[in-house]
Amino acid sequence: MVAPPALEFDLINPRITVLLTMFLPLLAAAELQVVVIEGLGGEERYAEQFAEQVVALESAASSLTTSDRIRIFRSGDFARETVVGFFAELAEALQADDRLAVFLIGHGSYDDHEYKFNIAGPDLTDGDLYDMLNEINSGQLLINTGSSSGALADRLKSDERTLILATRSGAERHATRFGHYFVAALSDGSADIDKNRLVTAEEAYEFAARQVADYYERNGQLATEHPKIEGEHAARFSLARLGAAQPVREDSQLRILIGQRDAVNAEIEDLRLRRDGMTPDAYQAELLNNMLELATLEEDIERREAELANER
Amino acid sequence: MNVRLAHFSLALIAVAFAAQARDIHYGAVQHPDLLDCDQLQWRGQNDEADACYRLLLGKDVPPAIHAEAAWALGDLQLANRLFRDAAALQPDDASIRVRWGDLFSETHQDGEAMTIYREALDADSGNAFALLGSARVLVGGFDDEANTYLEPLLTDASKDAGARAAAWLIVARVSLESSNMAQAANALDEAEAILESGDWPPLELYALRAAADLLNNIPESRYTAMSLEYNPGYGGIYAIPAHFYVITRRYRSAIDMYQRAVDIEPGLATAHEELGINLLRDNQMARARKHLEAAYDVDPFSPATVNTLRLLDSFTDFELINDPDIPEIGVLPVTLRLHRDEAAVIAPYAIKMTRESIAEFSRRYGFELKEPVIIEMYPDHEDFAVRTAGMPGIGILGATFGYVVAMDSPSSRPPAEFQWGTTLWHEMAHVFTLEATNHLVPRWFSEGVSVFEEWRSGPNPGVRIPMSVYNAMKEDLFLPIAELDEGFVRPTYDEQVIVSYMQAGLVCMYIDEAYGTRKLKDVLYAFKEGMLTGDAISEVLGISPSDFDDDFADFVDREHGSVLVNLEEWHRTQQSIGQRLLEEDWESIVGLAGHMIDILPQYIEPDSPYIAMAKAKEELGFHSDAIQALEQYWHNGGYDPAALTRLSGWLSDADRARDAIEVLQVVNLVDPLDQELHGNLGDLLLAEQRPDEALLEYQVALALNPHDKATAHYRIARAHNALGDREASQGQLLLALDVAPNFRPAQRLLLELMRADSGNEHN
Repeated sequence: MVAPPALEFDLINPRITVLLTMFLPLLAAAELQVVVIEGLGGEERYAEQFAEQVVALESAASSLTTSDRIRIFRSGDFARETVVGFFAELAEALQADDRLAVFLIGHGSYDDHEYKFNIAGPDLTDGDLYDMLNEINSGQLLINTGSSSGALADRLKSDERTLILATRSGAERHATRFGHYFVAALSDGSADIDKNRLVTAEEAYEFAARQVADYYERNGQLATEHPKIEGEHAARFSLARLGAAQPVREDSQLRILIGQRDAVNAEIEDLRLRRDGMTPDAYQAELLNNMLELATLEEDIERREAELANER
Repeated sequence: MNVRLAHFSLALIAVAFAAQARDIHYGAVQHPDLLDCDQLQWRGQNDEADACYRLLLGKDVPPAIHAEAAWALGDLQLANRLFRDAAALQPDDASIRVRWGDLFSETHQDGEAMTIYREALDADSGNAFALLGSARVLVGGFDDEANTYLEPLLTDASKDAGARAAAWLIVARVSLESSNMAQAANALDEAEAILESGDWPPLELYALRAAADLLNNIPESRYTAMSLEYNPGYGGIYAIPAHFYVITRRYRSAIDMYQRAVDIEPGLATAHEELGINLLRDNQMARARKHLEAAYDVDPFSPATVNTLRLLDSFTDFELINDPDIPEIGVLPVTLRLHRDEAAVIAPYAIKMTRESIAEFSRRYGFELKEPVIIEMYPDHEDFAVRTAGMPGIGILGATFGYVVAMDSPSSRPPAEFQWGTTLWHEMAHVFTLEATNHLVPRWFSEGVSVFEEWRSGPNPGVRIPMSVYNAMKEDLFLPIAELDEGFVRPTYDEQVIVSYMQAGLVCMYIDEAYGTRKLKDVLYAFKEGMLTGDAISEVLGISPSDFDDDFADFVDREHGSVLVNLEEWHRTQQSIGQRLLEEDWESIVGLAGHMIDILPQYIEPDSPYIAMAKAKEELGFHSDAIQALEQYWHNGGYDPAALTRLSGWLSDADRARDAIEVLQVVNLVDPLDQELHGNLGDLLLAEQRPDEALLEYQVALALNPHDKATAHYRIARAHNALGDREASQGQLLLALDVAPNFRPAQRLLLELMRADSGNEHN
């Protein structure tokens, strides 16, 4: 029993890519590497929050990749040099089609010149992060949930890198709530907008950004953080699987059904692209046919999987 | 224009407008040439007066007199410059600074005016007109310090006669506002005696006498004719009495009076402003804008005018929702004006609650509403404040002007700070008490009925009395019944308004319990007949007001005496709980919270001991005790959304879905913008076979624009399906699947619907 690899990206159409890769796991050979760096809490309450978030992130990462590809740097247990050295090793190990997700969970600071992520000993600076990430050739996602993280936007922006930052600039220096909501999204079914049981970076970002805005508005407080996202690949970067992964079974009937399902999904994508040129009624009628076909195929697939499970 | 706080600094320096007529100065300036011009103006000979002032500008008179002439001609920039020059030339002349201060006061710059009056008093500590100007500003700000400035004018006959007369006129005005008719009459007599001995116009005196007549139910005062004879163009003869219609909430009568004021004095900006604001209270939007713009043209310095015009501009962001959509014979229309961002969320609940309140109060008070009800809710509290009073900074939650209600919307304050549903219920009670009495009900009774109805019949019933009111009870600060209006109109300590609300509510509760609901209604209708409070109490209840006060005190003692005896102990215990919570000493908290609950079981404010008790019991593993604590909190009218949401979850887990639903419906009265609330409430309702109610909750959840739209549509589809509407259900399923094609629950329901249809066709 092998868990399907994580999602691939950079195929023809982003939306189709998600669907195709979801249902054609054999095509996706790339590996996901997750790195979580936990900063100093400063106060006990923040230390507790960060520790809880790191545990949740490790759990989410485990749903998509193997434990040897998850590296956690726990607060107080590492120094700047350790992290820098690890990224140098990653630069050697990762292939071009692998993907790297880096989480910075902690407080940051910015003095109008330099961003610093607060860890024990010398802090990690924006210069460190720039050097560490630029040495790595694969697609990257950097999520920094802390204060002043917006200062990284200009420095770390690149075509192959997606940045999710808790603040819009380095000047937003107060402790943030964004991390709490972002991590919560990775285990919350309501964050999974398209109900494919995978939470993408984009879905988690939108979920968390909305929760942050709601929090300040509903409590009548001036918002001291405004999350931002930079880069084009967040929609194709899965960060968590909801529920158990389905085992891959070698069965010709099942393979045919899955192929048919993926074809219908492709038709639905095509229909969406043609929507603007159609009347609402025509669109609805075609959508209904496609959805009925898709629902029937899903039902058949479930039935066949149950049969196969019983045979074993 | 979204800025609400108008900022007016020393704007006089930069502007020149045709300001409204300069006020009567009662001898603050004594130059004979100027007085000749003033006499023409006070007599309404405006053309002759203008010519006189223009001539004066060219004469060799002191700069301060030139300033007066410029002011009278509407050139405020020149007047300001000339006063400044005059003050520089004669820095020790207090009278120049007084008039300069008057100019600032008249242009709504009270801070600057007070600074200049103080400079005048530094130069001449006994200057009568500096005292008068200071008192006038302070009275306008409801500041008791005004008495310090008035007192020498009222007691020292050696002070300037004109200033003394004007001081008595201030006293008369304040007395009339407080319904202290005897004191007002005395003050007017004092003023009249002084005015007759001098040569000052009696116009303000006549206007206040007309106001007194109005308050004594003599709408056609003889003083109106006397004023018109003295000066046919003096709009104050209508505008000043109109103010007393406003403060007694007879807005339509006020509109008529203000209209007459601007008819005879078209340049009277204050009357245009008040006319505009009161037309808004009567939902006459276009006419209101016309008069507010007229006020702005004459007096662009008025914050109330500017703020209200900006508010009108913002109405493009609001939606009008009519119920019923198309008028139906026999159904009283209800119109909601809601911000477009929250209209779809609030409208269903607001309409339902408004209808329920109309049914309840029509039955209870035997009065059928005659006109459509208009409910406005403002997501920005300061917009509501401007709507209500023309100015930001008021602390109330809602206001009723008759058939028009304005209030804060649920999003205007953080959740748990106020119950919008209870506020709407309170305001709807005002609609009835105002309209049933032709707006003659005194403030205390109208508020009392509204508070009492919150407690008795409101959407979240329960007697909720803030701790500050218990403190006031202990200090014996309740007012005699005949003076209770004073607590609202002229509060003398910080918490007196809220104390007066609660006292009024308790009085109505007492009348209802001791004399019966019928008598409470009879008191209401006694006010319609024009009775004052004392007479209404005597006539309807057959008891003198002072005996009533004694009986009410006994009632309060019976109901709350034990609380008051232990109030200090309650406060001490509450402080101890705070420390124990920090220490997570749950055993101690159970004991302390229990002690507080024993002393005051009704206390359900956000720091209620029930919440601490539930937390401690849960931490100690006594789950059923924790549920019990929060249930008591809920049954007593508790409304903290976090506590109630927790309780609902516990009740649901305990298979008490109906109770869980009721609890979440209370949360809806506090925090209707919580997306999760509506989804959870809908799920509980659907599971309880109440699909119509579930559908409403699901539709509101979707209107809140949730992140997870697929689930929102799917839930609506389930409710439609449960109601037997397969077509609507299918439509919602397609919307869900359009967002999330692989959403299995939606796929399954779609197949179920199709197969059912197919089965029906085959059958």
